[in-house]
Amino acid sequence: MRDWAAKHRWESILIIVLAATIVVNVSLSPFYLGFGNFVNLFWLSIEKIIVVIVMTFVIINGEIDLSVASVMGFSAAVMATLYQGGELPFALAILIGIAVGAIAGLLQGLVITRFGLPSLVVTLAGLIGFRGAARVLLEDRSVGDFPEWFESIGQQTLVGPFPVALLLFFVGLALAWVILERSAFGRKVYVIGNSADVARFSGIEVDSVKLRLFVTSGAVAGLAGILFAARVGAVQGTLGETYELDIITMVLLGGVSIFGGSGSMLGVVLALFTVLNIRNGLGLANIDGITQTGVIGLLLIGSVLVPNLAQRYRLRRPRAEAVAHGPP
Amino acid sequence: MKTEHDRYEEEEEVKAIKRRSRVFVPMVVLALIIAACGGDTDDTTTTAGEATTTAAEATTTVAAETTTSAGETTTSAAAAGEAVEITAGDSIAATFLPKCTNIAVFPQANSGAEEAAAELGSDPAEFVGPADCGDTTGQIEFMTNAVTQGVDAIMLSNNSGDQLDAPAQAAADAGIPVVTWDSPIPSATGESVFVAQVDFDETGQVMADMARNILGDDGGQFAILSATPDAANQNAWIAAMEEVLAGPDYANLELVETVYGNDVAEDSVTAALGLVDSHPDLELIMAPTTVGIVAAAQAMTQEGLCETIKVSGLGLPEEMAPYVESGCAPEFALWSFVDLGYLAYYVAYGIATGQITAEEGTAFVAGRMGEYEITADPTRDAGLRVLMGPFSVYNAENPGT
Repeated sequence: MRDWAAKHRWESILIIVLAATIVVNVSLSPFYLGFGNFVNLFWLSIEKIIVVIVMTFVIINGEIDLSVASVMGFSAAVMATLYQGGELPFALAILIGIAVGAIAGLLQGLVITRFGLPSLVVTLAGLIGFRGAARVLLEDRSVGDFPEWFESIGQQTLVGPFPVALLLFFVGLALAWVILERSAFGRKVYVIGNSADVARFSGIEVDSVKLRLFVTSGAVAGLAGILFAARVGAVQGTLGETYELDIITMVLLGGVSIFGGSGSMLGVVLALFTVLNIRNGLGLANIDGITQTGVIGLLLIGSVLVPNLAQRYRLRRPRAEAVAHGPP
Repeated sequence: MKTEHDRYEEEEEVKAIKRRSRVFVPMVVLALIIAACGGDTDDTTTTAGEATTTAAEATTTVAAETTTSAGETTTSAAAAGEAVEITAGDSIAATFLPKCTNIAVFPQANSGAEEAAAELGSDPAEFVGPADCGDTTGQIEFMTNAVTQGVDAIMLSNNSGDQLDAPAQAAADAGIPVVTWDSPIPSATGESVFVAQVDFDETGQVMADMARNILGDDGGQFAILSATPDAANQNAWIAAMEEVLAGPDYANLELVETVYGNDVAEDSVTAALGLVDSHPDLELIMAPTTVGIVAAAQAMTQEGLCETIKVSGLGLPEEMAPYVESGCAPEFALWSFVDLGYLAYYVAYGIATGQITAEEGTAFVAGRMGEYEITADPTRDAGLRVLMGPFSVYNAENPGT
């Protein structure tokens, strides 16, 4: 137990924070504990947390994808435009929407790997470009009135009390866990994140791994955009705007290094549970959205600062002791 | 259609069964732990307060004063039987959910709701909402949380179109009355009744008349600066105005474009300046939103364009006073948001305590505001309405401050 805690310092801190959050929530609101609320807590942020899974891979790999929220909007906008055109079967429009997301990821991935440009810049351009494309497609309109079966995907429960999107999330999470921590591909992601040069000299096909991650990131973002459309029942050019910040926040809070190479799925899942529980608890206690964001911001700063300070303190103490115990 | 849907469901079922082995077992364990911790929360049945049916000591409705072109406001009151006076009873837990919390009119409406709660001996409603009026998912979240809390009533100003259908239906399924005010749910899904500030068709008429007053008999070009592209109330008003403009009396008025400032000051200024750039002959900006009208007036003042381009629409007198004085905004209109919040609370309280039912023909007395009746909403395909009214038109003679 202590061994595990020593090896997984960040995860241990997160478990404590999560436990504290749950205790505070229970004391703040009598409505917090309840199965329906548990489902709602995920359901209300489902699109973000689906993208969080793949963002974890991208950041561990030493890259970043700032374009995810814009790709969400663009994919949904393409689907909505095709639906409004009325010539294609709607199911096909959905598939094209997801494919557009994958292509968006592929394009960015190609630019990053072929030209060696930093993903921060390329996907920042993607953030602006795909959002612009979504807004050009839909202008100021809001496209809605989707077929009932589509909206029921987002709004109704499929198995027991779980909507489809929630099941997708848990399946995706389990898959991602296995791939990241139990497969050769997962190892490569870590190695590349630690040092792309070392990985390249070790014969790892660095560009291919990166490209696959960006394509997946785009496709998953596209899927998330479409799930968003199903849940809310309408698509606007602004769909998902600024979600990339929440998504990256959850990954970093999970202990994934922004420089790549380290982090765990468990940490990200704990961070995600913590953020969702804080939002939910504050919401049930009727605390407004601005304060909720503030609390999560403080948590992020605190979680970066506290371990850092603790480490400094630990580094300084032995030196001080050495002086004290030194020869007179 | 139906078969396709069924087939889809079957396919999903099969896939889900396949998944089950992987995900379902840990999920069930998790579920059991959570279910063991907490009980069911949604069994809040609203106990009916005593329905005191005092005969109509009817103060005549304020709504009747408005002169609607459609004229449906005056007819219904006469048919009403006995009006129920909504009286103090049990305290209710309610949520007062505006489009957003950072626009002056919504705290005003909440102060009206607080006044009503105090009169009725009830705890004031929780005033919560998204910070940004374009934040539809935020509103969905607050609605869902209110249902989880098992409140006795929700008072909602919808900041989108049908996006709130599902959570409103969830509230209705849980037995929670959803009273909309300011901006309704267009399809009326899950909605008990809409407390309308003014008749939506009349809003179109008033805006068209103000445009004609300002532009004069020769007419001219004007543009609309609205809130968000989805806002149910603004869209209904714009549609009503376009209908009025089709009439021969308004033939000289040319609506060149409708743009959206999302009820955000900076966006609205940008949108207003964009209109100026793209329409050199523009003479008037009509903004049916209190944020848009101030932003437009500000932008025209700063650019020194007030001589050529006037601003009108729906605005708060206290915010518009300097522009009325400078002549930038010669005329605009609004209603009392305090009264709107007050009336919405009375209706929600009456329904939650069982004193009135949300059905056509129910007449009631709402404290200081007098008698109202629930009617079918003539401006929507479905839904019930309580019409408040009237409009106040503000100008140099009547600045309203």
